[in-house]
Amino acid sequence: MKFAKLIFKNILRNKRRTVLTISSLVVSLFLIISLATILTEFDRGSDQSSPLRLVSRHAVSLGFVIPIAHMQKMKTVPGVKEVMPFSWFGGIYKDERNFFANFAVDASKLRVVLPEVKMSDADWQSFVNDRQGAIVGRKLVMLYGFTPGQRVSLKSPIYNQTVEFIIRGVYTGLDEKTLYFHHEYVNEMLPEWAKDQVSTFSILANTPEDVPRVSKEIDSIFANTSAPTKTESEKEFALSFQTMMGGVKQFLYGIMAAITFSLLLVMGNTMAMTVRERTKEVGTLKAIGFQRGTITALFVGESLIVAGIGAAIGIGGAVLIFRSVDLSLYIPNFISFVPTGQTLLAAFVLSVLVGLISVIYSAYRVSSLTIAEALRSTE
Amino acid sequence: MALPLKYNIRNIIVRKGSTLATAFTIGLTVAVFLMVMALARGIDLTLSSSGEPLNVIVLREGSTAELNSSLTRENFKDLMFLDGVVRENDQPLATAEIVTLIYKARKGMTQGSNVTVRGVGPMSFKLRSGYKTIAGREFQPGLTEAVVSKRIAERFQGLDIGDKFRIQTTDYTVVGLFDSAGKAFESEIWVDINSLASTTNRQTYSSALLRAKDQNALTALTKRITDDPKLHLKATSERAFYEDQQGTASGALKGLAVFISFIMAVGAGFAGMNTMYAAVARRTKEIGTLRVLGFGRLSILTAFLLESIAIALIGAVIGILLALPLNFVSTGTSNWVTFSEIAFNFRVTLDLMLFALAFGGIIGFVGSLLPSIRASRFKIVDALRA
Repeated sequence: MKFAKLIFKNILRNKRRTVLTISSLVVSLFLIISLATILTEFDRGSDQSSPLRLVSRHAVSLGFVIPIAHMQKMKTVPGVKEVMPFSWFGGIYKDERNFFANFAVDASKLRVVLPEVKMSDADWQSFVNDRQGAIVGRKLVMLYGFTPGQRVSLKSPIYNQTVEFIIRGVYTGLDEKTLYFHHEYVNEMLPEWAKDQVSTFSILANTPEDVPRVSKEIDSIFANTSAPTKTESEKEFALSFQTMMGGVKQFLYGIMAAITFSLLLVMGNTMAMTVRERTKEVGTLKAIGFQRGTITALFVGESLIVAGIGAAIGIGGAVLIFRSVDLSLYIPNFISFVPTGQTLLAAFVLSVLVGLISVIYSAYRVSSLTIAEALRSTE
Repeated sequence: MALPLKYNIRNIIVRKGSTLATAFTIGLTVAVFLMVMALARGIDLTLSSSGEPLNVIVLREGSTAELNSSLTRENFKDLMFLDGVVRENDQPLATAEIVTLIYKARKGMTQGSNVTVRGVGPMSFKLRSGYKTIAGREFQPGLTEAVVSKRIAERFQGLDIGDKFRIQTTDYTVVGLFDSAGKAFESEIWVDINSLASTTNRQTYSSALLRAKDQNALTALTKRITDDPKLHLKATSERAFYEDQQGTASGALKGLAVFISFIMAVGAGFAGMNTMYAAVARRTKEIGTLRVLGFGRLSILTAFLLESIAIALIGAVIGILLALPLNFVSTGTSNWVTFSEIAFNFRVTLDLMLFALAFGGIIGFVGSLLPSIRASRFKIVDALRA
């Protein structure tokens, strides 16, 4: 484009302004991307749930426990491949601030039911062989420096019990922030009401098609017992945790809208100043034969390039920052903290739109002045 | 010699478009800050107002919430006759309660959240001020009837008067709605304690609540109960118990508020700088003239700073006005200590508004510092020749 040079000269004319505008764009885009990533990471938990697994819990709520004996009947339901206790222990490591999930499971079935959990065969073997053994996710090791062979005590306020485990392996996959241990080991130490009880079962179906039927059949088996169950796909179970958050999602959307609007004001104001200051120049350009469309295009091009540079730095910066600092380490339940491609694309489109909208009115107004009016301008 | 304020005001009015744009940018920053803080404040106020000053709550040693606590009937008998517990017509002002959760779907959704169900005795109503039936009637002791807080009935499906909900294998009928001046138990369903005990097959209570005679009795009671090696119980003042729950939920929100508003403030600061640099550039000649008239560098610096702080304060006021309609809007989220729903209101309090005003002013000051210094440094000759 033959006017590219002119546009770039114009951008560089007031370097400080350009730098300030771009900086403002960059921080706003970074913020929008961070907030959007919080939203997408909320969903990731349920998106990554297995279509083959179901979760069964007490029909009333997670506050109630169900007998482990339910497992035998659950296994007889056609389409069920495996049933495993998956019991929230709520153990606290040293201090309440060190929050991480810990579950009582059946060590020999864990590998089958949660194939996403990856560990060497040797580690699986030593976990299964040690009743007191536990395995931890890679991120827990990063946070607390757990090493194989280390003794770790967890104090559970739910069961009023402190239990010591020995780390037998470090796994990767899923959230990598969970500690798994043997249900049978802890079971003996639980108070009477909790003995031989679990908070949830994890159920593996043969095929995804079996899942809805399995859920209905299991619930009907226990419907009239003292411990009725609610069995749902892992995805539905994850979603039910999300709705517990209430209006947080809408709230974040509102904040993102406010940031976008303020971005529009910032860019609009800058471009209005830029255009106004050049009113006289527009007169000159018109006098030497520039068409109105060309003049408008020059301003629009300038604004788009500024917005584009801001977008490139903001988006690139966000990607770099979140790649080097994994925020999911510090946010419970988050598997990762990585902006999705869709988020980045949306951020780019947003900046282009902001660049376009913020200049269009000023550019239109100044280019529709007559030569005389423009030259007479006192700006 | 200071420049007359009129000079600043005129300048702000003359550039009204750009003034408004800058003010709005700061206003949005302030508004977002206020809204998130109002949410956190709502949770804090609900929980901190929930404890009665002289109530003592007793849980099992090591429990952090009523849900994972248990006390035996013998425990409770020991507790209610302790010294320092208020008596009314020879009856100790004390009650045991059972707390459990039921999962209910939110209105308009298939998913929901856990709602606290509390089994209460006759004394429970006397131990908590502010309880008021606003529709229907009280439940009949011994029957499977329930009263539901108005806010929970509004937010969840199937909890209106006449509706039935199930605990274990028993159906409860909602017979009344209550209200309680914004306290935490306003997020609950209340049923008769004996009926809940038999429905849930519980031999034990979740907690006990006692009214102490005075502040000294409260201190003595909590110490006496907690230190008794036979009881294995922990007593806390009810106020401290609820205040301890604030941390997690509102702490995360406050962190979010600081993170978002700091970044937005940086963005708004850059934008403000741009506007002020442009203002300084456009008024170079004017600044030269003022200097010739005898106004010193300091007066010029002050004038520009004041002007920008004034714009920022206008912005902050806009922000406060934007956030204010949220005040007392009801919302809810999960209490991360108890995993149950807690209903509360956004609270845009006076101190938050003053803080927001100061926050806006600071953005204005920081954003205009460099441009104002630049304006004050012009050489008279250069400025006049510009």
